Amino acid sequence: MARSTAGAREDSGVRTSTEDSDPPVEAPPPAIRSRPVSWAGLWFVLPFAVLFAVFLLWPTITGFAYTFTDRSLTGAPAGYIGWSNWTESLTDPAVWSSLWNTLVFTGLSTPPLVLAGLGLALLTARARRLGWFLRFSFFAPFVLPVAVVTMIWVWLYQPGFGLVNDTLTGLGLTEVGWLADERVAMISVVVTTLWWTVGFNYLLYLAALQGIPREIYEAADVDGASGGRKLWSITLPLLRRTTVLVLVLQLVASLKIFDQVYLMTRGGPNFATRPLIQYIYESGFTGFRIGYASAISYLLFAVIIVFSVVQFRLFSREEV
Amino acid sequence: MSVEANAPAVRARPRRLVISPAAALVYFAAFWAAVFWLAPLLWAAATSIKPEAETTLVPLAWLSENPTFAAYREVWAVGDIPRWIVNSTIVSVLVTALTLALCSLAAYGFSKTRFPGRSWFFAIIIAGILVPPQVLIVPLFTQMSTLGLVDTYWGIALPQVVAPVMVFILKRFFDAIPRDYEEAARIDGAGHLRILWSVILPLSRPILAAVGIFTFIGSWNNFLWPFVATTDPSIMTLPVGLGVVQSVYGIAYAQNMAAAVISAVPLLVVFMVFQRRIVTGIAGAGIKG
Amino acid sequence: MRHHETPQPPTVSRRALLAITLAVAGSGATACGSVDDVGERVALDQWNLFGGGDGARMIEMHQRYAAEHPGVDLRATTYAWGPPFYTKLAMGAAGGRGAAVATVHVSRLKGLAPGRLLDAIDARALSSAGLAASDMERTVWDKCFVDGELYAVPMDTHVLVNYYNREICAAAGVLDAEGHLRETHGVDEYVALLKEVKAVTGTFGTSLDTNAGWRPFWALYRQQDGELLFGDGDFQLDESKALAAFDVMRRLADEGLAPRDSNGAATSANFVNGLGGVVQVGNWEIPVYQKAGLDFGVAQFPDFFGNHRTQGDSHAYVLPHRRDRHQARLDESLAYIAWMLRNGITWAGGGHIPAYLPVAESAQYLTMLPQSEYRDAAANVQFDPDIWFSGSGARMQDDANAVFQGLYAGTQTPETALAGFTDILRTLLRIPDPT
Repeated sequence: MARSTAGAREDSGVRTSTEDSDPPVEAPPPAIRSRPVSWAGLWFVLPFAVLFAVFLLWPTITGFAYTFTDRSLTGAPAGYIGWSNWTESLTDPAVWSSLWNTLVFTGLSTPPLVLAGLGLALLTARARRLGWFLRFSFFAPFVLPVAVVTMIWVWLYQPGFGLVNDTLTGLGLTEVGWLADERVAMISVVVTTLWWTVGFNYLLYLAALQGIPREIYEAADVDGASGGRKLWSITLPLLRRTTVLVLVLQLVASLKIFDQVYLMTRGGPNFATRPLIQYIYESGFTGFRIGYASAISYLLFAVIIVFSVVQFRLFSREEV
Repeated sequence: MSVEANAPAVRARPRRLVISPAAALVYFAAFWAAVFWLAPLLWAAATSIKPEAETTLVPLAWLSENPTFAAYREVWAVGDIPRWIVNSTIVSVLVTALTLALCSLAAYGFSKTRFPGRSWFFAIIIAGILVPPQVLIVPLFTQMSTLGLVDTYWGIALPQVVAPVMVFILKRFFDAIPRDYEEAARIDGAGHLRILWSVILPLSRPILAAVGIFTFIGSWNNFLWPFVATTDPSIMTLPVGLGVVQSVYGIAYAQNMAAAVISAVPLLVVFMVFQRRIVTGIAGAGIKG
Repeated sequence: MRHHETPQPPTVSRRALLAITLAVAGSGATACGSVDDVGERVALDQWNLFGGGDGARMIEMHQRYAAEHPGVDLRATTYAWGPPFYTKLAMGAAGGRGAAVATVHVSRLKGLAPGRLLDAIDARALSSAGLAASDMERTVWDKCFVDGELYAVPMDTHVLVNYYNREICAAAGVLDAEGHLRETHGVDEYVALLKEVKAVTGTFGTSLDTNAGWRPFWALYRQQDGELLFGDGDFQLDESKALAAFDVMRRLADEGLAPRDSNGAATSANFVNGLGGVVQVGNWEIPVYQKAGLDFGVAQFPDFFGNHRTQGDSHAYVLPHRRDRHQARLDESLAYIAWMLRNGITWAGGGHIPAYLPVAESAQYLTMLPQSEYRDAAANVQFDPDIWFSGSGARMQDDANAVFQGLYAGTQTPETALAGFTDILRTLLRIPDPT
């Protein structure tokens, strides 16, 4: 985020000030004359604040309140039931198995998404004459709606006459039940996700690579450094900040997995791919239990917050 | 930027014009990686122009001997997909316009004015970045149901407008615009609205474009909330309708792929038109999900 | 060579985007407008869960309906069978903007919170639409009431039946003089018949669907008058009768007469390919076997314990809750239901036994083969237990199927299956009833 507006700022010819490295909430640095206090500013903030209150703050509060009730989707009379949604959710094997699936997905998808993004960006940076074609190929899937992605991949994974299995049998190998086999289905989802979303990480890396001054490489050339040496000693260290950014964004995005799993396997076979968000959806909307689903939502919320805090601790130390 | 960087380098070392084996390998690998990455899309397109009976013929062929657009005609005639494209357009335009308007206003208020309680307001809104929208689907649905907003465009769009991170990004950008610009305008008698409209926003075009494009793509492709907020197929957005409504034509692979291709086109066009903006936008802002 | 990288003035691009989106939005808006503007057409949304052959039949009927009713704008939508459909149905009704008419399984009625998510149907309004109670198959009709209120109008009864491959069964010598499957009584006689069939096929006697064990279990249990009653957070299950039912399921697989593992698709394929000479699955498979060009007959579910009771369910129309139900729409919905029942002969082609007696007793149906061969099964149908987590595609069936497949696979004994099943019931009973 820190680099976020830097490039744009140069475009618009605005000078960089020290102001934005300060905590945004605090008063402006002493060098700047203080602004007159008036209520006028409130009117600018208010429209957003109202929507924020209605569609984010309020559901966050009511959602938490629901966890202590047996509120039902059907509108049946509901009441306070204490902690029983919480105790039930903590002892519900389906909560743990779907949380586990979410973590497995995160663990399986993050490394290839980061490494492939880096690898493809390095290729693109070298093969400059193919630039437009490469950027289009690797990034285009990212702009596709998820349902299009899953339709295409379910077709590719099709038993019998799917392209993947047909290629396998053509090579004399046996078919794989990509979406039907409990042991393989999650990997199939990861592969699809890799294809779909790697373009984003790829572009982040590509931009970072293009931001490395050529003079550094030229100086290394003078010293007679080999290509591999330059990659290892110059490029990768300079990409560190980008890697941190990519990792942070990727981990949190992976924890929110739902769309492609629901559309490809509906969480199956035999719940082997069902992520926690799907179980929230099923508990609340299929099973009508708004209170219980809210409790599970808050468990997921807690997991995401813990991940974010740990990451922040780890990486903020790293960045200094 | 690469144009300037590349050209002099080539001139300085003409030796580079001869392609070294290593460079050839890089080009070879890059080219095939890209082809491999495009293969699923090409396969979908290839399937979509086959006659239905040929789609499951093993061994598979990439090109049909009797290519036909019949699948496209049939999918289009059903009428669902055009309607969902219209719905997605309405929702995405609504979300993008409101996000740009409300987040700019809020960012201006936080960046360029002082009012009592400002830092409290800002702190609460920034804390909102920590709340993943995914964990709110259940209470948000019951709330929409109470407000009568289930199965309406507003019900799909409004929660997506609440993007505190956009306020944050815009505020940081506005913070960096020197006060001299506003002061000059103020001396000319401009009020806050006028300063925002004629001074701040024009200076912020690049960031507004980035926020706008990302909000648009994000909203167009958003699945979970529109999926929860709609049950009536005539109001569904494209990803939801495609994913949830069973095709009336049963299992017909060519038509399925024709539907996928039609549905892929709008944003692929947007991507091609705005490729540079999107690339610099991602590079700059790292906006995601 | 990299001219495409030349930065474009952002204003132009944005204007272009706006132009595109406005163009699309504009054309869409006019298109939508024209639909609603044609006369005063009543919009009628219908949601269903029918894919495959049933789906095709429904579309065929809807096309005829639309042709006969130019004043009605019928918009039918199909959601995936089971939870995806029921979830959307409930959410739409909870939001108060559900469909005008929807199809459900009657076994799910209690779990759909009638009175909250489903609106009651006025019997008088229904009869003025042309449907009288006396025209309905009694067993199913009675299932459509909850607390004395009518919430559903039944389309059909669908049951587990006994398919037999004529060629194989003739070779095995198990057909009677008229070419029907020989009538058997009791488990042993039926096992003996399956052995004769297996001698011909060499693979299975019956090519059961081992992933859907609930249905045969319920049929076998009910043939012994077994009851599964719920009340006060507890249940009553007759353990010895349940064990007897489980033992039949185990025995078929253990003696090699049924597959150890076979899903729905494989079950169809096994029967079509002649790996099994008979099979007990739902009547909805008829179009599949007909399409495959198979010479087959259909009998009632076999008599294992002294009668032909069979597990079954019924598709029915319901009115999902709406906060604004206009009278015109309601009338049109009931008229639509009446029309669909009167023209139910098309639906019956899919193997379902019509619930509307004028169709069920029509010459056209009585001469429809093999559909009318098992029409007496409508009187033998055994509905699933009456509790909110029960019914087609609901949790009890799904969870029970997961346990019962072990009986076929050889990983469960009748005793462990019973323990597993009672565990499921206890778990489900602990969940507070959300309806």
